[in-house]
Amino acid sequence: MLDLRDLQSRFFYSIARPMRSAEEEWQGFDPQLLQAIQTQGKLGPHERLDIYAQMYCARLLDVLQEDFPRVVAIVGEEQFREIGRLYLRQFPSTHPSLYHLGIHFAEFVTSQPVGISSPFLGDLARLERARLDVFDAPDAEPLRLEDLQTIPADAWATIHFRVIPALVTLTCAWPVQQVWKEEPFTISDILHQTPTVLRVWRQDFAVYQARMDTIEQAALAAMQSGESFASVCANVETLVDAGEDVSAVVGSLLMRWIEDGILAREYHLATV
Amino acid sequence: MSYTVPYLGHGVGLRTQHFPHVWDGTARVDWFEVISENFMLRGGRPLAVLEKARALAPLVLHGVSLSLGSTDPLNEAYLSDLRALAERFQPAWISDHLCWGSVGGHYAHDLLPLPYTDEALAHVVERVQQVQDRLGRQILIENVSSYLTYTHSVMSEWEFLAQVAQRADCGILLDVNNVYVSATNHGFDAHEYLNGLPVDRICQMHLAGHSTYETYLLDTHDGPVITPVWELYRFAVRRFGRVSTLIEWDDKIPEFHELCAEAERARTIEHRSWEPLYARSA
Repeated sequence: MLDLRDLQSRFFYSIARPMRSAEEEWQGFDPQLLQAIQTQGKLGPHERLDIYAQMYCARLLDVLQEDFPRVVAIVGEEQFREIGRLYLRQFPSTHPSLYHLGIHFAEFVTSQPVGISSPFLGDLARLERARLDVFDAPDAEPLRLEDLQTIPADAWATIHFRVIPALVTLTCAWPVQQVWKEEPFTISDILHQTPTVLRVWRQDFAVYQARMDTIEQAALAAMQSGESFASVCANVETLVDAGEDVSAVVGSLLMRWIEDGILAREYHLATV
Repeated sequence: MSYTVPYLGHGVGLRTQHFPHVWDGTARVDWFEVISENFMLRGGRPLAVLEKARALAPLVLHGVSLSLGSTDPLNEAYLSDLRALAERFQPAWISDHLCWGSVGGHYAHDLLPLPYTDEALAHVVERVQQVQDRLGRQILIENVSSYLTYTHSVMSEWEFLAQVAQRADCGILLDVNNVYVSATNHGFDAHEYLNGLPVDRICQMHLAGHSTYETYLLDTHDGPVITPVWELYRFAVRRFGRVSTLIEWDDKIPEFHELCAEAERARTIEHRSWEPLYARSA
């Protein structure tokens, strides 16, 4: 008779086994486990255990499909589920929440034949994962335009703006944000390799992404690393064309960031 | 000891598709049950919606990943998150399933069946007690639908469930649909199952739809409650009295009003089934 620990180990690795790729020869369910399962009605132990195996597979693949809908749309559902099976074999769930199931998927898809033939897929999967990450990032009240008016004139030299927690930057080799431009989308826009830096953020519970130019990248990176607003301005000054009005460039960035809700109000107030 | 919880009436499982009705305050239900793991988040819309839901009606946290029957150590980080969630949202109670779902640190994300042995009984009782200690409160445990039974089980599922509840001093969340599904799949009498459970431990009931396959029933929560399950619910109300009841609907999710209509149907059945008994005993 199997003890509880042995039973559970044999059960789990039996139902997870169909995740093995089709070309591998599968030896069937664990014989000792099958002996521990009753035959009832028309269903024998094999058929009964197979119900769990089918559910295990279907449920986890459904989760991956939900997490990476754009990748699915590009490679097709059938091929995606085959990639998913291989992924789950290498990265079975190690967390009670399904939210974490796909954390290695972008890295994994890059190593697969489909990721090599369509090299933008890794970046696309990273963007889809980043969107999930900001979806549940900690809340922060955004800085409002009227808040700027409360900042004393002599505080601007030392003030530190902070970005909201629900913002990440993503450095991609492909312009994968184009996939969100229209529905239904085509892949023609992302077939040309173009270094692309994106910011991905949440505003009013919706998730957005936007491409950043060199100046915005530098300014946001300085802001994220905790530099003062004066230091951010100095960074920008090294990047603008000669004769360009640095304060106008920085002011425009600040307005855009406030409009997008990516600066945090509480941090601003706490550091004045 | 026994376990008593407030009577909340007839509620619905809150799912993402219903968030707009909670957000605009138009969701009128007796109570909400939410999947605990879906709200173990750092921020964002689900937690904001849950705050709104809490202002509209009582909340209950229902977990799917506690893995009470697993031989893995209890996941302390999970318990810590669950406790924090409960402290923030003050649920009327917390529940999870009488099953296992993880081994060797790997999660199946399924409700896998236990053998009904003395070894499993002692193990689950100890785990429920540990969980209750960590959470600082009693919990409810729910019977699951199953598709296999073990040759070395020495007691029925209902005997096992009753023993766990009594020895661990926890409540029972009786899923009437699961009883029906498992009774069909394993050929036992669903009424015998209900008659074998202690009345004073039944704190909540679940109702849901399931799918019928050629040789078995699958607990899919993707449709309305079928007539035989309503009949079994009627039997359960007569045996257990007024018990907070909830409609689960997790796939092919209907419009909110349709979900609420199922809860209203449960209310009507409860009223018609229980009130005459109450009148007789008054």
